[in-house]
Amino acid sequence: MPRYAMVIDKERCVGCQSCTVACKSEWDVPDGSARTRVRSAGVKGTYPNFVSTFYVSQCNHCERPTCIPACPSGATYQDAHGIVRVNKDVCIGCGSCVAACPYAARYIDSDKGVVDKCDFCAARLEQGLQPACVVTCPANAKTFGDLEDASGKVFSMVYREGAHRMDSAEVSIGPNVYYLGKPEHIALAAATFPVGRPYTVAAGRVWSAVAKKVVYLAFGATFLGQAVAFFHQLATGEKQYDE
Amino acid sequence: MATNIIPAAPIPLSADEARVLSQSHIKKHQVAIVLLHWFNAIVWLVELSTGSALIVAPDYRFMPLWYVRMMDDLAGGHANLLRVHIAVGVLWTIVFLVYAVFGWRHYLHMEVLKNEVGIDQDDVRWLRIRLLRLLNRSGEDLPQQGAYNAGQKLYALMVYAMIPIIMITGWVMAFHLTGTALIQWAMLLHFVAAGMVVSGLLVHIYMGAVFPEERPAFYSMITGTVDELYAYKHHFKWWKEVKEEQLEWQARMASKPDAAEDSPKSEAKTGFDDGD
Repeated sequence: MPRYAMVIDKERCVGCQSCTVACKSEWDVPDGSARTRVRSAGVKGTYPNFVSTFYVSQCNHCERPTCIPACPSGATYQDAHGIVRVNKDVCIGCGSCVAACPYAARYIDSDKGVVDKCDFCAARLEQGLQPACVVTCPANAKTFGDLEDASGKVFSMVYREGAHRMDSAEVSIGPNVYYLGKPEHIALAAATFPVGRPYTVAAGRVWSAVAKKVVYLAFGATFLGQAVAFFHQLATGEKQYDE
Repeated sequence: MATNIIPAAPIPLSADEARVLSQSHIKKHQVAIVLLHWFNAIVWLVELSTGSALIVAPDYRFMPLWYVRMMDDLAGGHANLLRVHIAVGVLWTIVFLVYAVFGWRHYLHMEVLKNEVGIDQDDVRWLRIRLLRLLNRSGEDLPQQGAYNAGQKLYALMVYAMIPIIMITGWVMAFHLTGTALIQWAMLLHFVAAGMVVSGLLVHIYMGAVFPEERPAFYSMITGTVDELYAYKHHFKWWKEVKEEQLEWQARMASKPDAAEDSPKSEAKTGFDDGD
């Protein structure tokens, strides 16, 4: 079974946003939101040693995703190919997963009120097509394929050319979007667009720390009370009310 | 008035008196309320069994995973389970709204609410003695109670407060209303409010279905009536009110036995209230 991954070659990306546009039109992404986007790190350094790079970001389809345990309704899941997907029929639009994603890959679809993000164009994959951003990229900066296919391009870029994962000291959850490029370009992108910290929303923390306990306690107390009353009834026998 | 033949407080009954009382029935619930009760019971059964399986994430989940999976399979997928939960919940809200709009005079009027959920001095004493008696710390007689005892009133108050919370938060989640932060808190409120109702529901079901002394209350939710002996023993204040009303009516009937025949002018008036 294939395990999908994507490699983005920073030396090829020219920041043209073709992938952003292709993705938006393919998936009807509302204005102001994006499943994938290209950001410029600006020009850094001093003359004549300038450094500049573009950072293409999207859902990383992490191996140990922080968004899945954050989703109370179970709408977010990982499919057999390692793609992290959202079942929109189950999503209630609470946005807990948005806060839990260290890569800011998720957004609330303002038209539908539910969460949306890159799913590696799963519907296109089923038809044997490549993701829309990959086929659109004029510079062939994006390569998509099976990480377990040793003869494949992605395998070779990740394991032979040493493509880089956007991890941080605190967050290392196995992202499956890799970056190729000069170390200084990768370092600049990592410094300009740092990996965030997965965040549990306040209501979620109150849920597990307080609400669950309060409900268990109330339920347990009344259950126990009723159990005692019933055993009393068993032991003393039943009286008619009019006796 | 003939009401002086009704005792102010329960007096011990002979076996014959008790038998006579137990054979006469008085109306406790309107048919509309009996119907609503069983509709509500079915709704709670469905909503609790589906709703408890909708929470999947480990930090939130409170039912075992096998139960969640079983409900998913029963419904034909998690999305269908949610659809059932929402459809039944929406129907529930609409039915309650219809009752509230068309029947507020009978069910939500201040006078009715005071009678059904208003806590008075006797109720406070009742709660104290009931609790002490449970702990074998008091042999005192329980104070007289109205149509509903203090325990029932407290539970009703809690349910009256929780039901709007459950309905509003349910709509907020089902239709993605407001923003993400409010949906997150709506989820929490929905869970806690339902949890509170369920905790009390255990007592409600035990008292109705298991506890032998309250058996007539269970049947009253089917027939709408209770026998007088039960009312006399458990809800004396209410029994007294009903009897007083009955006697007043009988007295009025007796004072003008054939008023309609005597005065053809009053033919059009058919109500019991005319005259006085």
